[in-house]
Amino acid sequence: MLAMNPTLLVGPSDWDAARMPREEFVARATALWRLAKAASGAIVYGDRAHHAELAYLTGFTPKLEAALALIPRVGAPRLLVGGGANMLQAAKPLTWIENLRPLRNASETVTQWAREQSGGGRPVLIGGAFMPPALRHEVDEAAGAIADKTSDLRSLMRRKSERELAVVREACATLDMAIAAMGNAQRSGKSATDTILAGEYAAHKRGAQDVRTLFSLDGGRTLRPFETLVDRAIDPLQVYVAVRQHGYWAEGFALLSATSTDRVVRPAEVLASAFAIIEPGRPCAEVAHAIAQGIGSLQPHPVTAHMQGNAMGLALEEQPLIATGSEDTFQAGDVFSLRVGVANEREGTIVSAMVAVGERGCDVLWPAPLSEQ
Amino acid sequence: MTHEERLAAIRANMAERKLDTLVAIHDGAHFIETPNPVFVLSRFKSLGPAAVVLRKGGETSLTVTPAWDAERAKDCCPGLNVMGAEDVVEALTASLGNDGSTIGIAGLPFTRWEIASRLRQALPRASAAEDVVFGAAAAKTEDEIAHAREATRIAELGYARMLEIARPGMSEDELAVELRWHTKTLGAEDNFLLLCAGPRNPAVAPSNGRIMQAGDTLVAEITPSYRGQLAQICRTVTLGPASTDLKDKYELLVRAMNAGIAAAVPGVPMSSVCRAMNAVLEAKGYGEYCHPPHIRRRGHGLGFGSIRPGDVSLDNDTKLEEGMLFMIHPNQHLPQTGYLLCGEPVVLTARGAEPLTKHQSALAEISL
Repeated sequence: MLAMNPTLLVGPSDWDAARMPREEFVARATALWRLAKAASGAIVYGDRAHHAELAYLTGFTPKLEAALALIPRVGAPRLLVGGGANMLQAAKPLTWIENLRPLRNASETVTQWAREQSGGGRPVLIGGAFMPPALRHEVDEAAGAIADKTSDLRSLMRRKSERELAVVREACATLDMAIAAMGNAQRSGKSATDTILAGEYAAHKRGAQDVRTLFSLDGGRTLRPFETLVDRAIDPLQVYVAVRQHGYWAEGFALLSATSTDRVVRPAEVLASAFAIIEPGRPCAEVAHAIAQGIGSLQPHPVTAHMQGNAMGLALEEQPLIATGSEDTFQAGDVFSLRVGVANEREGTIVSAMVAVGERGCDVLWPAPLSEQ
Repeated sequence: MTHEERLAAIRANMAERKLDTLVAIHDGAHFIETPNPVFVLSRFKSLGPAAVVLRKGGETSLTVTPAWDAERAKDCCPGLNVMGAEDVVEALTASLGNDGSTIGIAGLPFTRWEIASRLRQALPRASAAEDVVFGAAAAKTEDEIAHAREATRIAELGYARMLEIARPGMSEDELAVELRWHTKTLGAEDNFLLLCAGPRNPAVAPSNGRIMQAGDTLVAEITPSYRGQLAQICRTVTLGPASTDLKDKYELLVRAMNAGIAAAVPGVPMSSVCRAMNAVLEAKGYGEYCHPPHIRRRGHGLGFGSIRPGDVSLDNDTKLEEGMLFMIHPNQHLPQTGYLLCGEPVVLTARGAEPLTKHQSALAEISL
């Protein structure tokens, strides 16, 4: 799900060697070389808004300016950090990579680095679609027309390791706490802003790296980001919360109310029935169709009409998608956000869950809390 | 200037350039240093990639992604023809057609490659039109100035909160997260909050997990955005008593800032504001620190829409006009103290630069 991109990432992003040791990153690069057999190395781009691939290989979150990792097949990687030499000290704790340099004269740096790589192969490009045009031209000029292996890397990123799953579970626990705090605020009659901010605060206090929220001012029919203070209480309040912890995202929708409401009953039943059919090998489109059939004559919510979920991890929205047009199948190791939404002219309701696909089915990591609704 | 007057000026610029159609594009990655022509034309801050098409005849359309965000866009921009789309380039290409009209496009250099390359391919004859949009947005509208005043009020309250809670034992990240959240409770929808601490900071940088210590110098650029308009204050605080040397050097920066504020009057080039600040430092023997790699500018414009009038730097000859909004900050690395922050947002009036802050930069000491 898209929410508003902040101008600067401020949350805790230091590399945590206990949670994600260096060998995890080395294994990821090794897996990439198996897919990119002729590659002499990889040029990996990331910025504030798009850095899942960079974070996967380096652990680095570019909080301010963009970064470019030069990862050789053989030898030590280096990370080029935007903002000049005096930014390196602040960037160093954010990555396991030891060789940090300023991102300047990209063309010259990449040319020289590519030349230094042994084996005669050429590097591959990852995340090039997100580069600003000027940098992309510089890299193209330096490295030539090199293969873009972003989608290959993403196929590796799909299957979460045990360490990654542990971190996702932590993110889900933080999500749960955020939505519980919002539920408490809602029940005590707080304004929409105070309710949203109560959840954000709870997530931050539990160490969230980033928290993004959307909410509805019109009974759940539409969603909006925080734009300015809303001093009135809105009940029920449809909320969306995404939290990022140790790099990994978890997201959830919930309908919060101070009184009981039966609006969530049908969507929650449909969501639960979707859990039952998720298993490795099952086409993602089948789950999307099952959700569409499950809501029956109710209208799908505009937010969930075209996509009933997506894989998640280091990015809020990863492939594959749970959509009727999807050609992908579920795999063990996938982590998904799964959503069911219904709406009419007056109101809308969306509930969701975070699920991990195991060898024989799915494990619900976070369900929309019925007790809060 | 009102928003409508700005749009009229943009249309006049289009006529001068003989453009039938103006396309503005933004990829949704909002950043203090990156201008957003979609925001300038529509005042809509998008979740994802978005575009505005302004026709010679006056019809204006706004395309937003994701499609479900179209209702919010309609609320924000009642005069525009709003369309929701899943792919902004496809939607734009379909709506523009191929009628041989002369197209100018603004925002391509700042958008991501995946969008820029497809748009270049779809509109091979479109010419760059940054000046058409941003030339008319060098001065802020009345609404933007009002929003900057509110953002400044929030920034000052954020700073007061920082003085209350910053203590040794707290990590930079904890402090930054708390301040960002606090300014949100005051109405800021975003905050470019650069904050770091150390015995001698090499620069101001994004916070990390470092635990602050007694004796640290804490530097912060507190930059809330209110309704899409940023305003910034640059502040320096010591955790514990400040040394005499630090107090002296900070006083020097305050004098430099005041010299910059005094020099900023309508009609002068921006470079003269930078020169006035440099002169104060040069007189004390810090001439070499007034240039790269130590410093590249002494202020900047304030987005998210237009970032004109640009940097307060020696190479910016933009003539200052009433209504321009920018930072004056003689932020400086000095060998004795490390990097220090000192700066105010100002709006240019007929009388000169008016700081938007109630309380201007002064070195603060947190008692431990």
